Amino acid sequence: MPRLTIDGREIEAKAGQTVMEAATEHGIFIPYFCWHPKLSVPGNCRICVVGVAEKDGGEWVEIACNMPVSEGMVVFTNSEKVRARRKATMQFITLNHPVDCGICDKAGECTLQDYHYEYNGERSVSVDAKVHATKHYALSNRIVLDNERCIQCTRCVRFTREISKSNGLGLVNRADHSLVRAAEDGSFANDAYSDNVIDICPVGALLSRSFLHKARVWYLEPTASVCPGCSRGCTVNLWHRRPEWRLKAPGMQAANASVDRVTPLENPAVNGPWICNKGRDLPKLLGRARAEVAMLKGKPADLPGAIAQARSLVAAARRPVAIVSSWGSNEELAAFKAAFGTRLEAFVKADHLPEPGEVVEDSLLIRADKNPNTAGATALFGDRAPAIPKDADLVLVWGEGLDFGLIPPAAKIVYLNAWLQPENGHADVFIPTSIQTERDGHYTNFAGVTSAFSKCFAKPAGVADAETLFPALAAAGGGAP
Amino acid sequence: MPGRQLIMTFEVTPTSHTLEAYKARGGYQTLEKALKMAPADVTKEVTASGLLGHGGAAFPVGRKWGVMKPIPGEIHYLCANADEGEPGTFKDRWILENAPHLLVESMLITSYALGVRHAFVYIRGEFDLPYRRIQGAVDEAYAAGLLGKPVFGSEFALDLVVYRGAGSYVCGEASGLITSIEGRKPYPRNRPPRLTVRGLFQKPTVINNVESLANITGIIRMGAEEFRKVGTPKSPGTQLVSISGHIAKPGVYEVEYGYPWAKFLDEDCGGMLHGAKLKCVVPGGISTKVLTRAEIEPLTLSHESVNPAGSGLGSGGMIAVAEGTCMVRFLQVLLRFYHHESCGQCTPCREGMGWMHKIIDRIVAGQGVPEDIERLYAISHANDGTTICGMGDAAGYATVGILNKYRDEFEYFIQNKRSKFDGRLECLA
Repeated sequence: MPRLTIDGREIEAKAGQTVMEAATEHGIFIPYFCWHPKLSVPGNCRICVVGVAEKDGGEWVEIACNMPVSEGMVVFTNSEKVRARRKATMQFITLNHPVDCGICDKAGECTLQDYHYEYNGERSVSVDAKVHATKHYALSNRIVLDNERCIQCTRCVRFTREISKSNGLGLVNRADHSLVRAAEDGSFANDAYSDNVIDICPVGALLSRSFLHKARVWYLEPTASVCPGCSRGCTVNLWHRRPEWRLKAPGMQAANASVDRVTPLENPAVNGPWICNKGRDLPKLLGRARAEVAMLKGKPADLPGAIAQARSLVAAARRPVAIVSSWGSNEELAAFKAAFGTRLEAFVKADHLPEPGEVVEDSLLIRADKNPNTAGATALFGDRAPAIPKDADLVLVWGEGLDFGLIPPAAKIVYLNAWLQPENGHADVFIPTSIQTERDGHYTNFAGVTSAFSKCFAKPAGVADAETLFPALAAAGGGAP
Repeated sequence: MPGRQLIMTFEVTPTSHTLEAYKARGGYQTLEKALKMAPADVTKEVTASGLLGHGGAAFPVGRKWGVMKPIPGEIHYLCANADEGEPGTFKDRWILENAPHLLVESMLITSYALGVRHAFVYIRGEFDLPYRRIQGAVDEAYAAGLLGKPVFGSEFALDLVVYRGAGSYVCGEASGLITSIEGRKPYPRNRPPRLTVRGLFQKPTVINNVESLANITGIIRMGAEEFRKVGTPKSPGTQLVSISGHIAKPGVYEVEYGYPWAKFLDEDCGGMLHGAKLKCVVPGGISTKVLTRAEIEPLTLSHESVNPAGSGLGSGGMIAVAEGTCMVRFLQVLLRFYHHESCGQCTPCREGMGWMHKIIDRIVAGQGVPEDIERLYAISHANDGTTICGMGDAAGYATVGILNKYRDEFEYFIQNKRSKFDGRLECLA
């Protein structure tokens, strides 16, 4: 256990650690571009220089990310020498950077911007033209690359080599003409984790095509959530407009209630700092057309009337069966159990199956079960496959994905679903429900880890929350959800 | 020839590079002798000889070997650095073309000493004849049973592979070289770990310059004591000097350390071309600081004599520059080279080389501003010791070396938008 002093603070590092790791672990900040805790150490940005005291009283300056800790080491992160070196490095890094922050999506959360104010803050000392490179280069159909903004930290290259293992990216050319390019075999386009390079890019070089010029990041706020894309249940941040920056122009209301982008919410217990591209596309999954009106046999009805009708159907049934959603939160599933007990014979169904072309399962994050809460649902209702008995006279279907052909023709159908789908009209009673972004809740992933998601938007009028709906359906006296 | 010879000891004929001719000169007898010694004794002999590396840094070969303690059962590699890319340097080329078997024998002895069973010769891709000669020598050695199977009744066997680079200055940097052998872009690596701890394919690796290795056979043959009698006490042996530029007799010369520099230029090299005056000389590859005629007058060709003068013998790539040469354009050529060859991995060199190249181009185009000189100093300084490999430092040294001595030419060029030395050099004679 080597003990070393950083900026006068004595810390105990682990053997084999670098100064950067030891400092970060003890909350001492050393700036970095290329270093990333989950990636190898290339030591190429040279911004993480620190001073190390020499025996003769001098100071030796080296990069912290590749410096092993040693007993009795005295490190300075902010000495005069270090500051001068950092400033010179910042001048180099910004030398050919276009400084087009005004039209850059990264502005506001850009490491280069922050460090410029912190460690340089001066006008460019160069009078020469900048090196020009490709702008708006399509690295894949998801990612746009601005080579002029790139500082060649190689985080993206190392990500595809070490984490996603697609080896999809590399650097071509030399010196200040180096360019990040995708391998010609299309391996980057097929990389199911490619969008992570956008997050780890310390500057605005790698940009998401779906988020390109959508919003300035300071107009957005993140809400912690859980990706429902598969049973891994990665924790994510859903970015949507801050209430104070809501758009007021006519026709822009939908933009106020939409998820603009999804980023990973670092969680060592589940997904680390990564998520897959399906998670990035959650706005597509959650932005499908919603069912917002209750129906009785395909005819629009008001919500209390539909609930009353459903309640009387449940009360009258002699052999009621329920098909429970694996997209329900733990709270909703518990409410169902509490409301109906053993009154309904319950099966858990898979709401979603792998789509054609989707990565079914891999060794990093993606799981074959494409539902977020199968573990939570089967814990309450068992893991029998849905098998509706022939003599069932009422089937309560919760969530999408059930083939209605499996339901005996004589049975009445009570259907709870959030999406606009053809089955909705076939049910005797259809009640629209809220979706994940409209309520709080928890999902339990395949490994038994429970993660929370929070409400981002208000639910549309005429839509019920399943958690309050179930008691209402079971109650003898009734009551509005 | 300037002083005694250790490598250029034979007459070069159309067949002098063959195994037959080499054996006739006593070739591979030293290997037999070395195999009767304990490996550690071979290393001890080389350490005792005080042989300095000939790649440019003059790091003691014995000390480099001493770091690598052969571990039984562990794989070790040896690489001969034949990626001779330093401008002005073409001495290894002579060895590869004319004495390839000397290199092969030396590598066999070195491998025996270091517990290596698989060695590489990394040769730059632009070398054609040298490649054919060294590959031919390796083929001959395999056919003669010197490579690939146990030699001279011992248990020692070595595989030797000649690997052609694709042409890059940084491939000559030891860690860039091994990265290139691994099949990747030759990005130099950060130290620690040192290459003798984790090098090629993450195994302990010793990388020596071709000329350094070529000396091993001689050291073992004559013994360290005899070897030290050549040269000076601090720089034992000889150095192959490849001299070019405005010199009457350019070429490769084997110079005994301690030989007077001025005498070497004036007598051995026949003086300057067309009787021009010597303005300055680049001592050992363009990454070393230039020395003026007056500065070299008292110096001898040895490390202990040249280093205090603020320069170094480097790789032995000497360039003689005649009076009347424009040092602004000279620096322009240099910086164009460094810009072109910067690998682009780490920030100071990637951006700094391009920046310096732009500044010097602008000065030469007559658009220089007075601050440019300070800017060149600042960029050179910011590259000093901040880069992953030595290339950033090297470019900085060269630039500072020229700026310090010929600042007036730069100021003249910036002020008058033209060179102080506009005439054609040929007319000066």
